[in-house]
Amino acid sequence: MPTTVCTAKASCKKLPGLLELTDTHLQWTQDGKKAPSIRVAYAEASSLFCSKEGAAQVKLKLSLVGDDTGHNFTFTSPPAVAIAEREKFKQELTTIISRNRSASDPFSRPVIPPINASIPLSTAQTPTTQTPRPLPTPSRQPPSRAVSVASDRRATPVIVGNDPASEFRLRKKVLLANPELGQLHRDLVVSGHITEAEFWDGREHLILAQAAAEGQKKGKSGQLVDPRPEAVEGGEIKIRITPQLVHDIFDEYPIVQKAYSENVTSKLTEEQFWKRYFQSKLFNAHRASIRSSAAQHVVKDDPIFDKYLERDDDELEPRRPREEHVEVFVDLAATLEDHEETGNEKDVTMRAGRQKAALPLIRKFNEHSERLLNSALGEIPPAKRRRLDPGEDIYSQIDIDDLHDPEATNGIILEMQDRQRYFEARMSEANQDGSLQKLDPAFVLAKARASVDQWDVKLTQLKIERKQGDAALLAMTQNVANRLDVRSKKNDIPDGLFRQMTSCQTAANEFLRQFWLATYPPAGELQTVAVATPQQRAAKQAKMIGYISKTPERVNALVQVAKQYGIDANRVEIALKPVVQASEHALTFWRNRKPPKPQQ
Amino acid sequence: MKFFIDNLPIIFPYDRIYPEQYAYMCDLKRTLDATGHCVLEMPSGTGKTVSLLSLIVSYQQFFPTKRKLIYCSRTVPEIEKALAELKRLMEYRTKSAETEEQKTKETNFMGLGLTSRKNLCINPQVAKEKKGKVVDARCRDLTNSSVCQKGRENPGSVELCDWHENLGKLEPGHLIPGGIWTLADVLQYGRDKGICPYFAVRRMMPFIDVIIYSFHYLLDPKVAEQVSKEMSKDAIVVFDEAHNIGSLLPDNVCIESLSIDLTRPMLEAAGRSVTKLSDKIEEVKTTDVAKLQDEYARLVEGLQESISDENDTDAVMGNPGMNIDSSTMKAEHFVAFLKRFVEYIKTRMRVLHVVAETPLSFLQHLKDITYIERRPLRFCAERLQSLIRTLELNRLDEFASLQKVASFATLVATYEKGFLLILEPFETDNATVPNPVFHFTCLDPSLAIKPVFERFSSVVITSGTISPLDMYPKMLQFTPVVQETYPMTLTRNAFLPLVITRGSDQVAISSRFEVRNDPAVVRNFGSILIEYSKIVPDGIVAFFPSYLYMESIVAAWNDMGILNEVWKHKLIFVETPDANETSIALENYRRACDNGRGAVLLSVARGKVSEGIDFDHNYGRAVIMFGVPYQYTESRILKARLEYLRDAYRIRESEFLGFDAMRNAAQCVGRVLRGKTDWGLMIFADKRFARADKRAKLPRWINQYITETASNLSTDMAITLSKLFMRTISQNPNENQTGVSLWTLEDIEKAQAKQKELALDAEKDHDDDYGDGGLSDAALMDFDLDV
Repeated sequence: MPTTVCTAKASCKKLPGLLELTDTHLQWTQDGKKAPSIRVAYAEASSLFCSKEGAAQVKLKLSLVGDDTGHNFTFTSPPAVAIAEREKFKQELTTIISRNRSASDPFSRPVIPPINASIPLSTAQTPTTQTPRPLPTPSRQPPSRAVSVASDRRATPVIVGNDPASEFRLRKKVLLANPELGQLHRDLVVSGHITEAEFWDGREHLILAQAAAEGQKKGKSGQLVDPRPEAVEGGEIKIRITPQLVHDIFDEYPIVQKAYSENVTSKLTEEQFWKRYFQSKLFNAHRASIRSSAAQHVVKDDPIFDKYLERDDDELEPRRPREEHVEVFVDLAATLEDHEETGNEKDVTMRAGRQKAALPLIRKFNEHSERLLNSALGEIPPAKRRRLDPGEDIYSQIDIDDLHDPEATNGIILEMQDRQRYFEARMSEANQDGSLQKLDPAFVLAKARASVDQWDVKLTQLKIERKQGDAALLAMTQNVANRLDVRSKKNDIPDGLFRQMTSCQTAANEFLRQFWLATYPPAGELQTVAVATPQQRAAKQAKMIGYISKTPERVNALVQVAKQYGIDANRVEIALKPVVQASEHALTFWRNRKPPKPQQ
Repeated sequence: MKFFIDNLPIIFPYDRIYPEQYAYMCDLKRTLDATGHCVLEMPSGTGKTVSLLSLIVSYQQFFPTKRKLIYCSRTVPEIEKALAELKRLMEYRTKSAETEEQKTKETNFMGLGLTSRKNLCINPQVAKEKKGKVVDARCRDLTNSSVCQKGRENPGSVELCDWHENLGKLEPGHLIPGGIWTLADVLQYGRDKGICPYFAVRRMMPFIDVIIYSFHYLLDPKVAEQVSKEMSKDAIVVFDEAHNIGSLLPDNVCIESLSIDLTRPMLEAAGRSVTKLSDKIEEVKTTDVAKLQDEYARLVEGLQESISDENDTDAVMGNPGMNIDSSTMKAEHFVAFLKRFVEYIKTRMRVLHVVAETPLSFLQHLKDITYIERRPLRFCAERLQSLIRTLELNRLDEFASLQKVASFATLVATYEKGFLLILEPFETDNATVPNPVFHFTCLDPSLAIKPVFERFSSVVITSGTISPLDMYPKMLQFTPVVQETYPMTLTRNAFLPLVITRGSDQVAISSRFEVRNDPAVVRNFGSILIEYSKIVPDGIVAFFPSYLYMESIVAAWNDMGILNEVWKHKLIFVETPDANETSIALENYRRACDNGRGAVLLSVARGKVSEGIDFDHNYGRAVIMFGVPYQYTESRILKARLEYLRDAYRIRESEFLGFDAMRNAAQCVGRVLRGKTDWGLMIFADKRFARADKRAKLPRWINQYITETASNLSTDMAITLSKLFMRTISQNPNENQTGVSLWTLEDIEKAQAKQKELALDAEKDHDDDYGDGGLSDAALMDFDLDV
């Protein structure tokens, strides 16, 4: 009887049963049956998926080697227990899978950690303090979490200060945002041709960019705080109050905060407060919209909140006039006061503020926008702001910049060491050049004149070799015909084949990229990326060349397929020729290289 | 750079010049040489003001006659901008002056800006007042001559303004040192030296080379009389941003300055003032009867004087001089006269139907009922002024209504033709509560500007949008020497005008009255705003045809959740009725654009924001014109003016309205450009913009860039085109603009040489024209050039 590592109640295919993890197998027995109906050997497990944290059902999916559908298990215990059980399974299985992975590909570094499992997987070279579990391949050393993280860091490009989990998340985001890259990733990494680390090698900037984009502090959302009631049956309305909403309301309407601090717990409970607020005139005034007038009849008088009610801000002049002085270039009031008003009044459509109901709304927009702006830029009195901002001088506002001569600026003096020596060296060089090219103008002129002497006679004597002329003409005709040919032929390569060709091409390119990257590591290595050791690079080179050497075969296969489709095989061949050539170039380079250092 | 037009050396404060600027300056010079008037339309954002100032200052500094420049603009921001432009020009001229002597000449060149007391007052007691009228009145109380005299004779007896007193201690003509002073500079100088900026500018006016102020100071007879009387006749007058003086709305200073409205509350106030006056007279009679007798004596003398030189005084800006009718010379007679007049108008206002009549019939009716003659009425405003001075009244703002009634009386008795009186008992057609307004309305814009054309030898009328050019001379009754519109030369299309005629759902959009409140139209307008707020960086400005429409559509958009979508991408600022509030919103709008958050500004064509505020560069990457900014044609005043226009100048109503609307639309969209590397989208959202006859009324420089495909788009198509445009325009321009849309000094010289050649050829053509019908040399040369 094998030892059982853990057990849990779980259903599979909607049948209740018991899930067990023994030291060799994962097995599931349907309730009421004796023999387990599902039995997965450790070596077969290839990847693990879990339902999201907080999802209604606690699920676990195990994919098998060569079978992506795998098995789905739903933990049927009460949620809290189920999650704990699932975590246990997850932890164990992850370790197993990682071992499988490293066994299956001697060169590969750990690949995609299973979704949601933030435990990094890795092979480890150091001994471990953990009790070694019986292993299918006893020659291997047991993994160690602690070291695995470190070794993983060294191999995959990691952003400093980031844990692998978030890094993984970043990668996923990059792949999702970039479908073509995602496709390549599926083709190469998921299918196991190259490892995750190799794939990202040289693409660190994408992850960095993503991290930077995420790291950017997001300002407040611009939308107005407008809790829209949801209608519930029975004519009642419901407003969901979240801490965020409360915060926003306090922020937007300080008067509510005042009311809250003055009343809650002394006169009203929290719940009562909000309930009455949403029914009060105050709330309706705050909504400041035309439709609030329609809601007037549902509004109740409320002795507490009505105290805080203010007069509608719908006069021509704002209720709270602001004294601050604005910059003269936008000062509209100055124009208004520039001269005594005369003349006939404006017609009804041009008199501002006649739609009284819209005025509080308009003022609210302006205030809201200003508040958002101040929350981002900080609240500085305008006068001080203007002093601080040097860009706001009056000339810059009237200047037409394209009328300035761009070359007329003084420029910035280049600070250079040993300037004198540099220029001296240049000068002496120039002198030498000068001596070489010193020519006598008269002589040159005479020579030129002699060469055109009797040009007309020479022209009549000019004979073109018939054969060569014909050949040239033929070649040109051929060229034109070819081009016409290409244009007149429509693209009749079947979709499937075309896609295969594309994927063959992109895959080969990726291999080549990896190969050359390993051969000539980029000089300006990013600071954050750990540099691979020469051994690692040699190993990678060897692996890549293995793939690359298969490229011609693949192309041949495609050519064969093309023949089956009845398409001119030549065209496929020509299309893929550059790839083949590039592969051959790499192969030649590989063959001619210095004998590789002995690998371990 | 420095170059010559004919033999006039021009200093231009940049290294390069646009070809249109050069052409503009040439035409301007032609006008000045001929001492005539001109109308010039120059594309927005191509540096009109700087070209204008550069040429005129060069002209002033080169010729010994030293003609003065009177530069009029519409708004205080524009005045300040022009002053800054002038200041920079002078700094450049000083810097590039070749001799010491020249340098001194440049530094002594003086330019000032004038605005109201409200904007220039630094006496904290007075400046704190909110209303300009109150500031004026309180200032007069502290600075008028009788108070000053009393205060100086007996220090401490009356309150005086220290800043004004300090000014009096300075040597006249040297109140401010030479140079260019912006309004802000003058204020600061006043604070530093403890002198009054307003009076410093007023008293320096005879000594300066350039004065910059608003149209009113030259066109409004009441103001012009005070501030612009001493301007010499050879001065150069410039009306910049002058597109409105061809308008028929209250935004036209020409008609505004001669129109007056009277309401019932005003008449009530005027009645109270009359009572106050008679009380005061009684009081003075008992305390200081000599004062009134003195006034009477002066008036009798004045009468004799004025009879002798009546024609002379009359000529000045069409303003009645100091000749007061004998029947109102006695103070108590005049007060009785005023009382009767106010009562008469009050009675007229009780009528509950609309009345329209000419000034002549009004005067006849007035005479029949009250025995008031035309002559005393004509000098009513003057007489009131004299009485107020005699009685040494304080707080004149309290007499504002009475003064208004007096100027009404003066105007109605002065002009016979080109005016109409309209009494409207109700504010709108469906109103039931009477709120009567008595309009005295000027129908003819040429009346106010006529004295200016008669008095000054060179008047320049210029703007970015002044099409059709020939309408202005016709309406304003003058003959221009030069009349020109300039196309915009661009090496790449810096702006993209698009006409959206329907929404993505193919429903036609329009601000036409019948459909403007249709939910489908409102939603389609809204989705244009949403889509553009998604794709356009930084600032978007949207204009509506009227306040009424903007306010209702903003409310509707909010209810439809459209603004919620916009909030996701940009902040929203809206023009409000209050000017200061709007200014703060504008400043915040600009901050949001600078910061990168981006914002939308909703405002009104012909509104406060559309005049004088620029939305260049990031402040306006797109401007959306929601609907055609037609005038409200139901207005009785507008109807009367249109009728007058048709009868007097044969300008068709619909034609005029079309031009006016398109001019305003162009004015709004033109605000987004400054310079040729600036770029912006111009969205015209109304199906009526698609009509070729409508588009033809746009200024040439906009119309030339509207393609046939871009003239009838749905929202989604427009968005696609806009995206494409923004992608291309954001690239670094590869082509070198120099030589095509940007000239260096060599390019100018080349152009001049070519012009000279052409002129010579033309002369030669006259000489050796063989008359054989063959190709001329010039034609052959042209042919050659084309190859």
